[in-house]
Parts: sequence; structure tokens; C-alpha cells
Amino acid sequence: MTLFESVFAGNDAVYGLTENAIDEAIKAHGADKAVSFPNTAYSLPCYYAVTGTKVGTLGELKEALGVVKTLMTREKRTHDVFMSGVATALCAEFIEVLKYIDGAVPYEEPCYGHLADAVIRELGVPLVTGDIPGVAVILGKAPSAEEAAALVKSYQAQGILVTLTGDIIDQLAEINYKTGANVRVIPLGKDVTSVIHVVSVAIRAALIFGNVKPGDAAALMEYTMKRVPAFVNAFAPLNDVIVACGAGAIALGFPVITDQADVARVPKSLICQTDISKWNATSLEARDIKIKITNIDIPVAFASAFEGEIIRRKDMQVEFDGSRVDCAELVQTCDASEVEDHKITVIGPEADEMELGSKNCIAYVVKVAGKNMQADFEPVIERKFHNYINCIEGVYHTGQRDMQRIRISIDAFNAGFRIKHIGEVLYSQVKNEFDAVVDKCEVVIYTDPAECKRVRHEVAIPTFEKRDERLDNLTDESVDVYYSCILCQAFSPSHVCVVTPERLGLCGAVSWLDAKATNELDPAGPCQVITKERPIDENLGSYEDVDEAVKKLSQGALEHVTLYSIMQDPMTSCGCFECICGIEPFSNGVVIANREYAGMTPLGMTFPEMASMTGGGVQTPGFMGHGKHFISSKKFMKAEGGIERIVWMPKELKDFVAERLNKTAKELYGIDNFTDMVGDETVATDPETLVAFLTEKNHPALALDPMM
Amino acid sequence: MPFNQKPQKFNAKINSVTIGSGDKTVTIGGDSTFPFYTFDAPSENCPKIGVEISDMGLEGVSEGIKAYYDGASTMADIAKKAAAMEGADFVALILEGGDPNGENKSIDELIAVVKEVADAVDCPLVVEGCKNVEKDAELLPKVAEVLQGRNALILSEKEENYKAIGAAAGLAYNQIVGAESAVDINLAKQLNVVTTQLGVDPKKIVMNIGSAAAGYGYEYVVSTMDRIKGAALGQNDNMLQMPIITPVSAETWGVKEATASEADMPEWGPQDERGIDMEIMTAAADLAAGSDAVILRHPESVKTISKMIKALV
Repeated sequence: MTLFESVFAGNDAVYGLTENAIDEAIKAHGADKAVSFPNTAYSLPCYYAVTGTKVGTLGELKEALGVVKTLMTREKRTHDVFMSGVATALCAEFIEVLKYIDGAVPYEEPCYGHLADAVIRELGVPLVTGDIPGVAVILGKAPSAEEAAALVKSYQAQGILVTLTGDIIDQLAEINYKTGANVRVIPLGKDVTSVIHVVSVAIRAALIFGNVKPGDAAALMEYTMKRVPAFVNAFAPLNDVIVACGAGAIALGFPVITDQADVARVPKSLICQTDISKWNATSLEARDIKIKITNIDIPVAFASAFEGEIIRRKDMQVEFDGSRVDCAELVQTCDASEVEDHKITVIGPEADEMELGSKNCIAYVVKVAGKNMQADFEPVIERKFHNYINCIEGVYHTGQRDMQRIRISIDAFNAGFRIKHIGEVLYSQVKNEFDAVVDKCEVVIYTDPAECKRVRHEVAIPTFEKRDERLDNLTDESVDVYYSCILCQAFSPSHVCVVTPERLGLCGAVSWLDAKATNELDPAGPCQVITKERPIDENLGSYEDVDEAVKKLSQGALEHVTLYSIMQDPMTSCGCFECICGIEPFSNGVVIANREYAGMTPLGMTFPEMASMTGGGVQTPGFMGHGKHFISSKKFMKAEGGIERIVWMPKELKDFVAERLNKTAKELYGIDNFTDMVGDETVATDPETLVAFLTEKNHPALALDPMM
Repeated sequence: MPFNQKPQKFNAKINSVTIGSGDKTVTIGGDSTFPFYTFDAPSENCPKIGVEISDMGLEGVSEGIKAYYDGASTMADIAKKAAAMEGADFVALILEGGDPNGENKSIDELIAVVKEVADAVDCPLVVEGCKNVEKDAELLPKVAEVLQGRNALILSEKEENYKAIGAAAGLAYNQIVGAESAVDINLAKQLNVVTTQLGVDPKKIVMNIGSAAAGYGYEYVVSTMDRIKGAALGQNDNMLQMPIITPVSAETWGVKEATASEADMPEWGPQDERGIDMEIMTAAADLAAGSDAVILRHPESVKTISKMIKALV
């Protein structure tokens, strides 16, 4: 039998039962007899939400059944299947409401039946906050009471609310498994139609919390699909009625997981998983539910208070040192099927198999998968490892990539801390902090020297090289969007950074990739997308899009900003700049001073004096704050001729940027060892001596047009 | 040359939000001019004043305030006197006793106080949490629940607990959500964005953008309010058009000008007067910078600020 036939047959069967039940009730009580669920302001909540009509009497219920009939179309399209599912659910609600006629109490301990509005208001808040991360709707009879209990327990452990319908209620009662709202396991009733009471909860949640107007079925389904994290677990054997109810659940966006092997599968919606021990993981993945990790399972404390802790050699149990032996730390993006969530593997000796005070290899690979994960986020996540591992009491970490160094203290070791616990920490922190992009996470830790050597040289280093290459190849032209950063507006209200691949934030801390990741992880946060579709002048780096963004984000304080000019509408600075460049009129060039430089510059100003005219979000043509890495960029004051304008830098800064700056000068102008032509404080701190030096070196700036 | 007045017209408006239910309600916001620029357009709703009372009763309040509440022995009595204060538009109950680092009163205990106050007065109610984000996340949803039907303003939802408080106050129990940020226009806006993404109606949000006592880094408050009003009106930024409420007294009665005794600082004059002065100066500046409501404690301050508002609107 096809899925269509099952659903239609099930729907027809339930409709027939409902029609009979209503007719019987009218015969017994008359059409004017009132019908209602207790303690709700929403009449028959499902019917009311879908149609906008309240039902008060048996006669009206009969009319409502006529409306339900119109949903039961029989074309072989998915729409018909869904609507028949909805019709089945509404019929179930009608059958259930008949049980409450005359104030009857149809359900008794442990079953709940209909749930009052107050319960929904109370459950709604933890559902919104994620304290209840999901709702499991379990239906039918488990193969054994033990399997039923194991499944329910697995959801309870995650804080998921469980509702039970059918024989599983008796199965749990037999083994004295505790149920009740206080333990978040709610038995609804033994008839399959009682499942409607949890649907009623989802639907009233949409009316109360989603401001969905009764009768707006499309908005209702959108709300339940997006905001109610429910899913169905249905035990085999499935009959047509259950399949028809399942179609209703799918229509609301709730996937159905079953162990019935011959069921017609619908990707992401009707899923067969014959191994019931995997239902939990399958359900969570299908419904995209992420569990918040509140405590990390390690034998020592984990807090930022331990971040600065230093482990001396004499206090050290073991250490790992990337500068001497093979080490690596790596985040790898994988396909969801390749990652088993929360699996932590140690390949090689554990800490208790290592000699006291010994130096060892370690390589940990954190495999992550997620619909929104991008390879560009790997280094952003990886950079946090230092902080995560350092926050462990008695463990210390420095360095990164394949040069990290880790020490585990004797105290931590004696408290039971082992290498696998590093995996626990990485797992829980990555899942918590990057939950917007990481759905699943697995950690593999290698301590076997041969394996570490392989991972370092065959996996990690090639990955790092590929990333560096990508960074080198990222140009402003090769991307579609730039990002704003307004992290510093708290103290510099009118400043806006425009971050591009070739121009990182002036603080030096926010690259284009960082801004992109920040935007993805915190969509309403400080980094927003700036399109670049409407260029005004590509040489200046001026765009209508950039101007609009800057105007909006500075609350109108700035109207125009160019990306590549220091003379025309230069980008503003908050005050966090690593460097400031300022125009030097005698040589037609610019002088750059870095924050660390305490002396005088040929401009007759020190760094703080230059800073006073550059910071605070003002535009001072001729002065601009920027990051150190921007100096070697091909976009550095490109509009005025680029880096060949640089005539002076403090020696320390010059040495720092020399290699990259010389490379750029060679590429742009064919000049070898450009930095040899650039003055520093050992050559001159006044313009006359500087110009004499530049003339002697034949500095290209002297031949350029004056900037003003 | 004759004076030619050119009114500054904005095609935007601060949301008007009504607090309270039944006959006694107050509406704040609604203007489309800068604060007190009544020469540009008449004011829809003049700024409002709330009188703050604490679950700690009259413990630690100044002599003048104590004198006003003389004879009030229960929270109900205190609330009634507060509501009757000259110039008062609403009562603000601060649940400071809930702070885990202070009295650490239980939630049940605090809820009993909320009920007592709510039953005693029918004026609009504002409830302020205990300032601890974890405790507030548990406490304020319960407050929202017991005040069902009162259309109360629940202060404060913060970045750390906006889901619990926003969902309870704004969605489940239909109260007004007070969104508190720390003197930063972007944080204020971001909190409004995420709160509305929860499903809370933007017209049911009031901002507390953070405050300071005058002279205590107060310039930040002025510039933040100024920029928020500028963006709300000048740029029609509807995520900043929520009216602003500023709890003044909680800041000003804690600074040394208000707490130093006359015995310690004879040259500063009477302690009660200094407290009033700090409260009035701060409140006046808040209103001039953009607050649509302020929360005060001393009857003298309430009277003075009320007079100031009447004179300016």
C-alpha cells in the first residue's frame, strides 16, 4: 500500500468513527448540548486555530465535521496527504471532546488527557528559552518495557518534555517508572486519539506565544514548524490511523521516527530507524534540536579564573610540546554522517601510561558538522582552544596550530584528569559557543607518536597552508560583501569600521573572516553585511552601499567614507588603532607611527598627539588609523598611489612589516628591498634630515605629485 | 528682522505605550519632537513619574522619606501612600531583597510582596527585579504571572535573560517588557531586535537604557539618550522608537553625596537635602536628554520634577 493509500484509508476510518460518535452523542443529548474542554479559552483549540471558528454545542460540532470533510481531498499529491493528516487530527479532537461532555473526568492517574491553558503558559517560557529543548511525542508499544524506559530516560536527561500515548503508558507503569509533569513525562491517554492533547499544546502555544490569529492556518503551520521543536516516535506496527495522524504531525513540521521497516520514507519527515537506541540521536538531528551543555564532565574545575594559571616544571605530571615533538590542533568540517556527536576517542597512551615529567606528542582533531558551518570558521573556532584548555584547573596551554604546548599538573592528574577530558572540554565549549554553526561535534585525540606525526604532516600542515593561501588570495574584488564593525561605538559613538579582506579593522583584531563569523554567530550583533553592488569610484573605494551603511550605523554622523584614500573621506577611527599614518608634506609621503613607539616623528608629533586628531570617529583628511597588517596591503592608500608614499616608520614597526611590505613593493612597482629606502628614528626625526635621506636613497615618493 | 519660526518636523514618532489597566492607566512616549521641544509640535504625553518602593520596606531610606511614610506598617500601607504622593503617576516596586548577594529572599516571599502591593493599589504598576540576572530570570516570569490582567511594566529584561523574561512578560502573560541595556545605543537596539524576534510586540517594549547619578559618568547617559532619540526620529529607526524609562532613585540614593552623614560631612549640609538634590538633578537631566518616565523616591523630588514637567510642556 502506498503512503497515499494508507493516509487516506486511515483518515476515512477516523472520519467514520467521528461521524458515528457525534451522531450517537446528538441522539443521546440533543444538538444543543454544550461541548468543551476544561480550562481553556480556546474552545476546541486545534479546530479553532485552523478555522477561526469556536464550537460550543454538539450541533456546531456536527457542522464543523462538515468543514473537516472539505479538507479530505483525494488527489495523489503531498498537499492532500497533509490536509488529510490535519483532518484526522481534527477528528481526533472531536472524539476527545465528546469524552468531556457533562463535566466528565475521562482520564485518571497517571493519564492527563486535555492540558489546561495555564500549563501551556508555564511550559511556553522554558520552551522559548530552550530550557526545554524539545517535545517528544511517543506513540504505541515498545518492544520491551526496558527499551521504553531507556528511550524516555534519554530524553529526560536532555530536559526534553516527553508525552506518551498508547500501550507504552502501561509498559512504564509495570516497571514502576515515574511519570508526571514534575519529571517532564506526561502520559496523555491510551487511545491513539489522545495524542491530540499534545498537538493542542503546540497549537495553543502558537496562539499565545506566536500571536497567530485563529483561522490563519498558514501562519499556524509556519509557527509550529519553526518554533515548536516537537517530533514523533511511533513504535511498529503502524496502522493506517497512526500513519494518517503522522501525516498531520508532518504537516505541522514534526518529523516522525519509526521502527517499522516497510514504511514509505519521506526524507527528513518520515524516517525509519530500526535501532530504537538510536531514536534519540535520529530525532534530535531530524528536528534540529541542540542540547545546551550545562556541566562539563571533568574531575577538576573549569572557569576563567584558571585561565592565567601557570604550571611549573616541578608541579607538572606530563607535558606536550609542539616545538620539540609532533603536535597539532585542528578543526575539521565534515559531513554530518561522518561525525558522531559527543564521541571522544584517544588513540595512543593515556596520561597514566606516560612517565612522570615526560614530554609527549599530542594532536587533537575536532570534527564538526552543521548546516551553517563553513570552512572559513575553522580557524575562528580553533583560536578559542587556547582559552578553553587554559580554563581547566591544573592545565595550561600556549601557542597554536602545530606549536602548542600543554602541561597537566600533578594535582589535576591525581584528581583524575586524563587526556580524554581535554576532549570533553573542547566538545562542550565548541557546542555551546558555536551552536549557531555546529550541530554535531566529535573529538579525536592522538597521543601515539606515529599517528601524531601523520596527523601533523599529512593533515594539519596541509590544511594550514591551504588556509593561508586562501587568506592571501582573498582580495576586496574577490568577495561579494564587506562587513561593518561597531564594537567600539560604546566609547566612540560615531565610528564605523568597514572591514574588507584587504583592510582589516584598525584595531588589528577583526579580519574580514572574523567579521563574517561574528555576523553568522550573532546575526543582530556588531558585524553586519555591507553589500558592494553600487560602486561610485573603484579607485577611491567609494560605494553607495558603504555610504548608506556608514550613515545608518553612525546615526547620521558620517555621510561618506572611502576605503582606499586618506585624503578624501578617510575611514574614521575609534581610538583602538594599532598605527596612525599622517601626511608628510616635504616629501609628498606619509609617516606611520605605531602605538608602542614613544618618541618623536618627523611630523613634529608623537603618537598620542597624532591620536588626538585621528580618534573619536572624526574624519581628518591626511590622517588615518589602521592595523599593522594593513601596511603591506595593496589597498593601503591606493587612491594616493599606495605604499610607495611611505617615507618613515619606527624601526621596530619597519622590521615587523618588512618582509610583507617588500614583497608588495616588488609586486606593485618592481622595487627591491623597499624598506631600506624608508626612514626611521635612527635616521631622522625631523623633516629636513628625512628628505635628505630620502633623496640619497632615491625614494619614489619624491617624484610623485603632492597629495595636497 | 522678524523672528521666523521653523519647526523641526520628523516623519517618525516614539511609540506610545500604555501601562496599567482599567480606569487608571498612564501612557508614555508618543511624541515626534526632541524632549520638551513643544515649540516644534505639541506633546502627546508629557513625561511621567513613578514612585519607587522596595520589598525591604523603609529599611535604609532617608529621614524625609521615612517621615512621609510615617504610620505605614505594611507593604500595602506603603504602596497606598506612594500612590497618593503629589505628582505620582505610577508605583514602581523594586524587589531588591531578592539579590542573592544581599538578603536573598525566596521567590515565594517576593511574590507575596508583589501580590500585597498589587492588591493594595489600582494605579499602574512597574516591577523592578533584584538586578541579579539568574534570579531575575526565575523571579520576573513569576511576577508576570501573578500580575496577569494588570498590564504592568516588568523591569528588567537584559541580554543575558531576555528569553525567559521576554517570553513570560511579553508573550505568556501579556505585560509590558522593560528592556535594560548598559548605556550603549547598539546594545539597546540589539536587545530590542532579539526581543521582537521572540515574538514580543515592539509596541509593548519600554527601554531602560541604563543610568548613572549626575556626576558619575553621566555624560554617557546623555549622549546615549540623545543618539537614541536622534535615530528614532531622524532616521525612523523603529527598533529604537520604544519610550525610555529611567530608574533614577536606585542610582542617586547610593552615591556618597546622598549617603554621607551630616556628622561626617558638616560642610555639605543636611543629608536629606543632598539626596533630594541628587535625585532632582539626575531626573531633570534624564528628562531633558530623552527619558519618557523617571522613577523617584523622595516626595520632595516627585513634587519638584512634576512641577518642572508642567512648566515645560
